Amino acid sequence: MRKCKFEDMIDGYLLNKLSERDKELFEEHYFNCPACFEELQARSLIINTIKNHPEVLVSEEASLKVPLATRLKRELAAFFNVRQLAMTGVISLIFLAVIIAVVPKRQALLPDFTLTDTETVRGSSITLISPVIDMNQVPSFFEWKKLGENVEYQISISNHELLWKTTTKENRVVLPDEVKAKMVPGERYSWQVKAFGPDGSLIAVSSRVQFLVSTK
Amino acid sequence: MRDRPPDKLRVEEDIKELMVRYRPIITFRVRKAIGAQNTDCDDLVSEILSQVVEKISSGEFRGESSLGTFVYTITSRRIIDYIREKTRVMKFAPEPEPFPDPQETLEQKEMSEKVQAALEKLKPKYRNALYLYYYQELSREEAAARLGISPRKVSELVNYALKLLRKEMKI
Repeated sequence: MRKCKFEDMIDGYLLNKLSERDKELFEEHYFNCPACFEELQARSLIINTIKNHPEVLVSEEASLKVPLATRLKRELAAFFNVRQLAMTGVISLIFLAVIIAVVPKRQALLPDFTLTDTETVRGSSITLISPVIDMNQVPSFFEWKKLGENVEYQISISNHELLWKTTTKENRVVLPDEVKAKMVPGERYSWQVKAFGPDGSLIAVSSRVQFLVSTK
Repeated sequence: MRDRPPDKLRVEEDIKELMVRYRPIITFRVRKAIGAQNTDCDDLVSEILSQVVEKISSGEFRGESSLGTFVYTITSRRIIDYIREKTRVMKFAPEPEPFPDPQETLEQKEMSEKVQAALEKLKPKYRNALYLYYYQELSREEAAARLGISPRKVSELVNYALKLLRKEMKI
Protein backbone atom coordinates (compact mmCIF):
# COMPACT_ATOMS: atom_id res chain seq x y z
CA MET A 1 0.00 0.00 0.00
CA ARG A 2 1.41 3.36 -1.02
CA LYS A 3 1.94 5.69 1.88
CA CYS A 4 1.62 9.45 1.58
CA LYS A 5 4.82 11.24 2.57
CA PHE A 6 2.80 13.57 4.80
CA GLU A 7 1.41 10.72 6.88
CA ASP A 8 4.38 10.90 9.24
CA MET A 9 3.29 14.41 10.22
CA ILE A 10 -0.09 13.31 11.59
CA ASP A 11 1.08 12.51 15.13
CA GLY A 12 3.21 15.65 15.29
CA TYR A 13 0.28 17.74 14.11
CA LEU A 14 -2.19 16.26 16.60
CA LEU A 15 0.27 16.48 19.49
CA ASN A 16 1.23 20.08 18.57
CA LYS A 17 4.82 19.11 17.97
CA LEU A 18 5.22 20.46 14.42
CA SER A 19 6.97 23.71 13.61
CA GLU A 20 4.67 26.51 12.43
CA ARG A 21 5.87 25.99 8.85
CA ASP A 22 5.30 22.22 8.89
CA LYS A 23 1.94 22.71 10.52
CA GLU A 24 0.80 25.02 7.73
CA LEU A 25 2.20 22.67 5.10
CA PHE A 26 0.39 19.73 6.58
CA GLU A 27 -2.85 21.67 6.97
CA GLU A 28 -2.80 22.69 3.34
CA HIS A 29 -2.00 19.10 2.46
CA TYR A 30 -4.93 17.50 4.23
CA PHE A 31 -7.30 19.93 2.52
CA ASN A 32 -6.07 18.30 -0.67
CA CYS A 33 -5.43 14.69 0.34
CA PRO A 34 -8.52 12.64 1.29
CA ALA A 35 -6.36 9.68 2.41
CA CYS A 36 -4.40 11.79 4.86
CA PHE A 37 -7.54 13.48 6.14
CA GLU A 38 -9.18 10.12 6.72
CA GLU A 39 -6.13 8.93 8.64
CA LEU A 40 -5.98 12.22 10.53
CA GLN A 41 -9.58 11.86 11.71
CA ALA A 42 -9.08 8.27 12.85
CA ARG A 43 -5.83 9.09 14.62
CA SER A 44 -7.39 12.16 16.25
CA LEU A 45 -10.21 10.02 17.63
CA ILE A 46 -7.74 7.51 19.05
CA ILE A 47 -5.46 10.14 20.57
CA ASN A 48 -8.41 12.08 22.01
CA THR A 49 -9.71 8.92 23.63
CA ILE A 50 -6.30 8.12 25.08
CA LYS A 51 -5.97 11.69 26.38
CA ASN A 52 -9.43 11.70 27.92
CA HIS A 53 -9.38 8.14 29.24
CA PRO A 54 -5.77 7.22 30.02
CA GLU A 55 -7.00 4.78 32.67
CA VAL A 56 -7.77 2.32 29.89
CA LEU A 57 -4.05 2.08 29.28
CA VAL A 58 -2.71 3.05 32.69
CA SER A 59 -3.89 -0.08 34.51
CA GLU A 60 -1.52 -1.99 32.36
CA GLU A 61 1.39 0.37 32.68
CA ALA A 62 2.25 -1.23 36.00
CA SER A 63 2.62 -4.51 34.21
CA LEU A 64 5.65 -3.30 32.30
CA LYS A 65 8.26 -6.00 32.37
CA VAL A 66 10.15 -4.28 35.18
CA PRO A 67 8.89 -5.22 38.68
CA LEU A 68 7.07 -2.55 40.63
CA ALA A 69 9.76 -2.11 43.31
CA THR A 70 12.44 -1.61 40.69
CA ARG A 71 10.26 0.79 38.80
CA LEU A 72 9.60 2.82 41.93
CA LYS A 73 13.30 2.90 42.68
CA ARG A 74 14.00 4.01 39.16
CA GLU A 75 11.34 6.71 39.33
CA LEU A 76 12.78 7.96 42.61
CA ALA A 77 16.28 7.85 41.24
CA ALA A 78 15.13 10.05 38.39
CA PHE A 79 14.41 12.76 40.97
CA PHE A 80 17.08 12.16 43.63
CA ASN A 81 20.52 10.68 43.91
CA VAL A 82 21.27 8.56 46.99
CA ARG A 83 22.61 11.47 49.04
CA GLN A 84 19.65 13.71 48.20
CA LEU A 85 17.34 10.85 49.04
CA ALA A 86 19.03 10.36 52.45
CA MET A 87 18.89 14.09 53.13
CA THR A 88 15.22 14.18 52.21
CA GLY A 89 14.62 11.31 54.64
CA VAL A 90 16.45 13.06 57.48
CA ILE A 91 14.69 16.36 56.86
CA SER A 92 11.32 14.60 56.74
CA LEU A 93 12.07 12.90 60.08
CA ILE A 94 13.04 16.18 61.74
CA PHE A 95 9.98 17.81 60.31
CA LEU A 96 7.80 14.96 61.58
CA ALA A 97 9.38 15.16 65.04
CA VAL A 98 8.70 18.90 65.19
CA ILE A 99 5.11 18.33 64.16
CA ILE A 100 4.66 15.60 66.79
CA ALA A 101 6.18 17.85 69.44
CA VAL A 102 4.17 20.91 68.50
CA VAL A 103 0.76 19.55 67.58
CA PRO A 104 -0.35 18.35 71.06
CA LYS A 105 0.67 21.69 72.54
CA ARG A 106 -1.20 23.53 69.91
CA GLN A 107 -4.25 21.42 70.54
CA ALA A 108 -3.93 22.14 74.27
CA LEU A 109 -3.82 25.83 73.59
CA LEU A 110 -6.94 27.60 74.58
CA PRO A 111 -8.78 30.35 72.82
CA ASP A 112 -7.76 33.98 72.98
CA PHE A 113 -9.58 36.37 75.19
CA THR A 114 -9.04 40.02 75.87
CA LEU A 115 -7.83 41.41 79.16
CA THR A 116 -7.77 45.05 78.26
CA ASP A 117 -7.86 46.92 75.03
CA THR A 118 -4.19 46.27 74.51
CA GLU A 119 -3.71 42.92 76.18
CA THR A 120 -4.86 39.60 74.76
CA VAL A 121 -4.08 36.30 76.38
CA ARG A 122 -4.67 32.76 75.28
CA GLY A 123 -6.15 30.67 78.08
CA SER A 124 -9.25 29.79 79.99
CA SER A 125 -11.01 32.31 82.12
CA ILE A 126 -11.16 32.47 85.90
CA THR A 127 -14.48 33.27 87.49
CA LEU A 128 -14.22 35.92 90.17
CA ILE A 129 -16.58 35.39 93.11
CA SER A 130 -16.17 38.35 95.41
CA PRO A 131 -16.14 41.30 95.31
CA VAL A 132 -17.86 41.79 91.96
CA ILE A 133 -20.36 44.43 92.90
CA ASP A 134 -20.01 47.75 94.72
CA MET A 135 -19.21 47.37 98.40
CA ASN A 136 -20.34 49.50 101.32
CA GLN A 137 -16.99 48.92 103.01
CA VAL A 138 -13.50 47.88 102.00
CA PRO A 139 -13.61 44.13 101.33
CA SER A 140 -11.58 42.05 103.73
CA PHE A 141 -11.00 39.17 101.33
CA PHE A 142 -10.99 38.38 97.62
CA GLU A 143 -12.28 35.05 96.30
CA TRP A 144 -12.40 33.33 92.92
CA LYS A 145 -13.27 29.95 91.53
CA LYS A 146 -10.62 27.26 91.90
CA LEU A 147 -9.15 25.91 88.70
CA GLY A 148 -7.42 22.72 89.86
CA GLU A 149 -4.49 21.40 91.84
CA ASN A 150 -0.97 22.77 91.56
CA VAL A 151 -2.13 26.11 90.31
CA GLU A 152 -0.63 29.32 91.59
CA TYR A 153 -2.79 32.43 91.48
CA GLN A 154 -1.59 35.95 91.19
CA ILE A 155 -4.01 38.60 92.30
CA SER A 156 -3.59 42.28 91.58
CA ILE A 157 -5.64 45.13 92.94
CA SER A 158 -5.43 48.59 91.44
CA ASN A 159 -7.13 51.92 91.36
CA HIS A 160 -5.23 54.40 89.21
CA GLU A 161 -2.08 52.38 89.75
CA LEU A 162 -1.18 48.99 91.14
CA LEU A 163 -2.11 48.91 94.80
CA TRP A 164 -1.17 45.43 95.80
CA LYS A 165 -0.07 42.20 94.17
CA THR A 166 0.43 38.78 95.72
CA THR A 167 0.50 35.11 94.85
CA THR A 168 -1.25 32.20 96.53
CA LYS A 169 -2.08 28.54 95.98
CA GLU A 170 -5.55 29.10 97.46
CA ASN A 171 -8.55 30.49 95.64
CA ARG A 172 -8.95 33.16 98.27
CA VAL A 173 -6.80 35.86 99.74
CA VAL A 174 -7.28 37.99 102.84
CA LEU A 175 -6.47 41.61 102.37
CA PRO A 176 -3.61 42.68 104.71
CA ASP A 177 -4.39 45.61 106.97
CA GLU A 178 -1.80 47.91 105.38
CA VAL A 179 -3.47 47.48 102.00
CA LYS A 180 -6.91 47.80 103.50
CA ALA A 181 -5.80 51.09 104.98
CA LYS A 182 -4.87 52.38 101.53
CA MET A 183 -8.36 51.70 100.20
CA VAL A 184 -10.74 54.52 100.92
CA PRO A 185 -14.51 54.85 100.54
CA GLY A 186 -15.68 56.68 97.44
CA GLU A 187 -12.90 55.24 95.33
CA ARG A 188 -13.24 52.77 92.49
CA TYR A 189 -10.95 49.72 92.47
CA SER A 190 -10.36 46.87 90.10
CA TRP A 191 -8.92 43.41 90.56
CA GLN A 192 -7.81 40.55 88.46
CA VAL A 193 -6.48 37.02 88.96
CA LYS A 194 -4.00 35.20 86.76
CA ALA A 195 -3.34 31.48 87.13
CA PHE A 196 0.03 29.85 86.51
CA GLY A 197 0.77 26.17 85.97
CA PRO A 198 3.50 24.20 87.81
CA ASP A 199 6.03 25.21 85.14
CA GLY A 200 5.23 28.86 85.67
CA SER A 201 3.31 29.28 82.44
CA LEU A 202 0.22 31.43 82.37
CA ILE A 203 -2.80 29.16 81.99
CA ALA A 204 -5.77 31.36 82.80
CA VAL A 205 -6.71 34.94 83.38
CA SER A 206 -9.84 36.47 84.83
CA SER A 207 -11.46 39.57 83.51
CA ARG A 208 -10.68 42.77 85.38
CA VAL A 209 -13.61 43.50 87.67
CA GLN A 210 -14.30 46.94 89.08
CA PHE A 211 -16.06 47.76 92.31
CA LEU A 212 -16.79 50.93 94.17
CA VAL A 213 -16.33 51.29 97.90
CA SER A 214 -19.28 53.42 98.80
CA THR A 215 -19.05 56.19 101.39
CA LYS A 216 -21.69 54.82 103.72
CA MET B 1 -30.82 24.03 -23.36
CA ARG B 2 -29.14 27.22 -24.31
CA ASP B 3 -30.91 29.39 -21.72
CA ARG B 4 -28.69 28.02 -18.97
CA PRO B 5 -24.95 28.29 -19.43
CA PRO B 6 -23.33 24.87 -19.01
CA ASP B 7 -20.62 26.23 -16.74
CA LYS B 8 -23.24 27.40 -14.25
CA LEU B 9 -24.55 23.86 -13.90
CA ARG B 10 -21.03 22.68 -13.29
CA VAL B 11 -20.56 25.34 -10.66
CA GLU B 12 -23.69 24.15 -8.83
CA GLU B 13 -22.47 20.59 -8.87
CA ASP B 14 -19.14 21.75 -7.67
CA ILE B 15 -20.77 23.59 -4.81
CA LYS B 16 -22.70 20.51 -3.73
CA GLU B 17 -19.63 18.36 -3.90
CA LEU B 18 -17.66 21.04 -2.17
CA MET B 19 -20.03 21.09 0.79
CA VAL B 20 -19.95 17.31 1.21
CA ARG B 21 -16.22 17.10 0.82
CA TYR B 22 -14.96 20.14 2.66
CA ARG B 23 -17.36 20.58 5.57
CA PRO B 24 -15.67 17.85 7.67
CA ILE B 25 -12.20 19.10 6.76
CA ILE B 26 -13.02 22.72 7.59
CA THR B 27 -14.72 21.55 10.80
CA PHE B 28 -11.62 19.61 11.81
CA ARG B 29 -9.32 22.54 11.09
CA VAL B 30 -11.57 25.01 12.95
CA ARG B 31 -11.92 22.76 15.99
CA LYS B 32 -8.20 22.18 16.14
CA ALA B 33 -7.58 25.91 15.98
CA ILE B 34 -10.17 27.28 18.38
CA GLY B 35 -10.92 24.23 20.53
CA ALA B 36 -13.62 21.64 19.93
CA GLN B 37 -15.59 22.86 22.93
CA ASN B 38 -15.82 26.37 21.50
CA THR B 39 -19.47 27.09 20.75
CA ASP B 40 -18.50 29.30 17.81
CA CYS B 41 -17.18 26.30 15.84
CA ASP B 42 -20.34 25.52 13.87
CA ASP B 43 -21.03 29.15 13.02
CA LEU B 44 -17.48 29.64 11.87
CA VAL B 45 -17.60 26.55 9.63
CA SER B 46 -20.87 27.67 8.03
CA GLU B 47 -19.46 31.13 7.50
CA ILE B 48 -16.33 29.75 5.86
CA LEU B 49 -18.38 27.51 3.59
CA SER B 50 -20.57 30.42 2.46
CA GLN B 51 -17.46 32.48 1.81
CA VAL B 52 -16.04 29.66 -0.31
CA VAL B 53 -19.29 29.30 -2.28
CA GLU B 54 -19.55 33.04 -2.74
CA LYS B 55 -16.01 33.36 -3.99
CA ILE B 56 -16.42 30.45 -6.40
CA SER B 57 -19.75 31.80 -7.69
CA SER B 58 -18.27 35.23 -8.25
CA GLY B 59 -15.46 33.67 -10.24
CA GLU B 60 -12.79 34.53 -7.71
CA PHE B 61 -11.49 30.98 -7.83
CA ARG B 62 -9.68 30.78 -11.11
CA GLY B 63 -8.01 27.44 -10.71
CA GLU B 64 -4.58 28.93 -10.07
CA SER B 65 -4.25 26.63 -7.13
CA SER B 66 -6.09 23.44 -6.27
CA LEU B 67 -9.58 23.79 -4.87
CA GLY B 68 -8.32 22.28 -1.60
CA THR B 69 -5.66 24.99 -1.24
CA PHE B 70 -8.24 27.66 -2.09
CA VAL B 71 -10.57 26.39 0.67
CA TYR B 72 -7.61 26.00 3.04
CA THR B 73 -6.58 29.62 2.50
CA ILE B 74 -10.08 30.97 3.16
CA THR B 75 -10.37 28.76 6.26
CA SER B 76 -7.02 29.84 7.67
CA ARG B 77 -7.72 33.54 7.08
CA ARG B 78 -11.09 33.34 8.75
CA ILE B 79 -9.60 31.50 11.75
CA ILE B 80 -6.88 34.13 12.10
CA ASP B 81 -9.51 36.88 11.92
CA TYR B 82 -11.60 35.08 14.52
CA ILE B 83 -8.69 34.71 16.92
CA ARG B 84 -7.76 38.37 16.38
CA GLU B 85 -11.33 39.43 17.14
CA LYS B 86 -11.30 37.39 20.32
CA THR B 87 -7.87 38.41 21.49
CA ARG B 88 -7.32 41.89 20.20
CA VAL B 89 -4.58 42.68 22.65
CA MET B 90 -2.41 39.77 21.64
CA LYS B 91 -0.46 39.90 18.43
CA PHE B 92 -0.36 36.17 17.99
CA ALA B 93 -2.99 34.29 19.86
CA PRO B 94 -1.88 30.83 20.91
CA GLU B 95 -4.01 28.03 19.68
CA PRO B 96 -5.87 26.35 22.51
CA GLU B 97 -4.84 22.88 23.48
CA PRO B 98 -7.24 20.38 21.99
CA PHE B 99 -6.93 18.00 24.95
CA PRO B 100 -8.69 17.05 27.03
CA ASP B 101 -12.02 17.75 25.46
CA PRO B 102 -14.53 17.74 28.30
CA GLN B 103 -17.55 18.24 26.12
CA GLU B 104 -17.72 15.18 24.02
CA THR B 105 -20.81 15.09 21.87
CA LEU B 106 -22.96 11.98 22.00
CA GLU B 107 -21.58 10.79 18.71
CA GLN B 108 -18.03 11.42 19.84
CA LYS B 109 -18.79 9.66 23.10
CA GLU B 110 -20.01 6.58 21.26
CA MET B 111 -16.95 6.57 19.07
CA SER B 112 -14.73 7.12 22.07
CA GLU B 113 -16.33 4.14 23.84
CA LYS B 114 -15.61 2.05 20.78
CA VAL B 115 -11.99 3.14 20.88
CA GLN B 116 -11.78 2.40 24.60
CA ALA B 117 -13.15 -1.09 24.07
CA ALA B 118 -10.64 -1.65 21.29
CA LEU B 119 -7.79 -0.29 23.44
CA GLU B 120 -8.69 -2.67 26.23
CA LYS B 121 -8.37 -5.61 23.87
CA LEU B 122 -4.80 -4.72 22.97
CA LYS B 123 -1.92 -6.63 24.46
CA PRO B 124 -0.07 -4.81 27.29
CA LYS B 125 2.99 -4.19 25.12
CA TYR B 126 0.88 -2.15 22.68
CA ARG B 127 -0.95 -0.34 25.43
CA ASN B 128 2.29 0.60 27.12
CA ALA B 129 3.68 1.97 23.89
CA LEU B 130 0.50 3.99 23.19
CA TYR B 131 0.41 5.32 26.74
CA LEU B 132 3.96 6.57 26.68
CA TYR B 133 3.86 7.85 23.12
CA TYR B 134 0.43 9.48 22.96
CA TYR B 135 -0.57 10.14 26.56
CA GLN B 136 2.77 11.13 28.03
CA GLU B 137 3.86 12.47 24.64
CA LEU B 138 7.32 11.01 24.99
CA SER B 139 9.49 10.90 21.91
CA ARG B 140 10.15 7.51 20.35
CA GLU B 141 13.58 7.58 21.92
CA GLU B 142 12.27 8.41 25.41
CA ALA B 143 9.56 5.77 25.17
CA ALA B 144 12.18 3.30 23.98
CA ALA B 145 14.35 4.05 27.03
CA ARG B 146 11.39 3.53 29.35
CA LEU B 147 10.42 0.26 27.74
CA GLY B 148 13.94 -1.01 27.29
CA ILE B 149 13.52 -1.50 23.54
CA SER B 150 14.79 0.28 20.43
CA PRO B 151 13.10 3.44 19.07
CA ARG B 152 12.40 1.54 15.90
CA LYS B 153 10.54 -1.07 17.91
CA VAL B 154 8.46 1.69 19.54
CA SER B 155 7.41 2.90 16.08
CA GLU B 156 6.53 -0.63 15.10
CA LEU B 157 4.48 -1.18 18.25
CA VAL B 158 2.62 2.13 17.87
CA ASN B 159 1.94 1.65 14.16
CA TYR B 160 0.82 -1.92 14.62
CA ALA B 161 -1.39 -0.93 17.56
CA LEU B 162 -3.03 1.75 15.38
CA LYS B 163 -3.59 -0.81 12.68
CA LEU B 164 -5.17 -3.23 15.17
CA LEU B 165 -7.37 -0.48 16.59
CA ARG B 166 -8.63 0.60 13.20
CA LYS B 167 -9.30 -3.01 12.29
CA GLU B 168 -11.19 -3.57 15.54
CA MET B 169 -13.24 -0.39 15.13
CA LYS B 170 -13.62 -0.81 11.40
CA ILE B 171 -12.71 2.80 10.70
